[in-house]
Amino acid sequence: MHEQMTNQDLTERLTLIEEMIAEGRRTTESWGWIFVLWGVAYYVAIIGSGAMKNPLVWPVTMISACILTVVVILAKRRDLPSTRIGHSIGSLWIAAGISMFLVFLALGTSGRIDQHIMVTVLGAMLGSTNAASALILKWRMQFACAAVWWACAVFACFGKGTQVTLAFLAAIFFCQIVFGVYAMLRESRRRRQHGVIHA
Amino acid sequence: MPELPDLNPVIHGKLRLAVLSLLAGVEQAEFTWLRAKTGSTDGNLGAQLLKLEEAGYVGVEKQFVLRKPQSVYRITEKGRRALAEYVQALKALLGSAINV
Repeated sequence: MHEQMTNQDLTERLTLIEEMIAEGRRTTESWGWIFVLWGVAYYVAIIGSGAMKNPLVWPVTMISACILTVVVILAKRRDLPSTRIGHSIGSLWIAAGISMFLVFLALGTSGRIDQHIMVTVLGAMLGSTNAASALILKWRMQFACAAVWWACAVFACFGKGTQVTLAFLAAIFFCQIVFGVYAMLRESRRRRQHGVIHA
Repeated sequence: MPELPDLNPVIHGKLRLAVLSLLAGVEQAEFTWLRAKTGSTDGNLGAQLLKLEEAGYVGVEKQFVLRKPQSVYRITEKGRRALAEYVQALKALLGSAINV
């Protein structure tokens, strides 16, 4: 077969292989919207629990956000390939989500939860998950978010009630809303840059 | 003079080569994503995927996601090995051409 092939044909095939493997590995998944969704969910839960004084506001909002996340992910990933990096990052967040659900459910039902404990645990868990994700993706911006969550967690151990609330609101704003919008813009720019590679 | 390696005819087709390379970079991929990335038609892509499947280079799983049918493809270990050997053969051919 190779008798009829020119050097250019051979080089073209090598280039095609390289381009296609790179295209597959390039992360095409979009995660930015999840940060924004959960940021909004935290705000809804904080404002709702303050206004209604009902202990069920937090669990109901979190479970609703969880269901919405799963449904949208399933709908979005129909046409997207599953990559190893995507799988790793997804696994990290699922594990963190299960941990948070169990811890907060136990703390809530035992009556041992208060604002300081909640922000400390949530901040520490979001800090470690963001940091692990940032290290896998080599993404400094996400590591900065992890640092903000850790700072918020530590501050919640020492700060007064209102101060802790303000710190928590600020951390949600920067690490969920701002970071999520930034990630979405980055993902949309990347999608525009890499279109179809015709074989 | 060393004998030049043969190129695997199953992988040699440009579309089959593109598909196998795409699958080498992901865990698994849906038919529509492969079609979008290669810019091929349903019929052509389906036929080439079938050849790769018959050779044991890709595996397919039919499933339903949100009540919609999906064909999910993944490269097999045999396919990965064949692609690696194909790349080595290409490099050897290019090397021999340069030496000449």
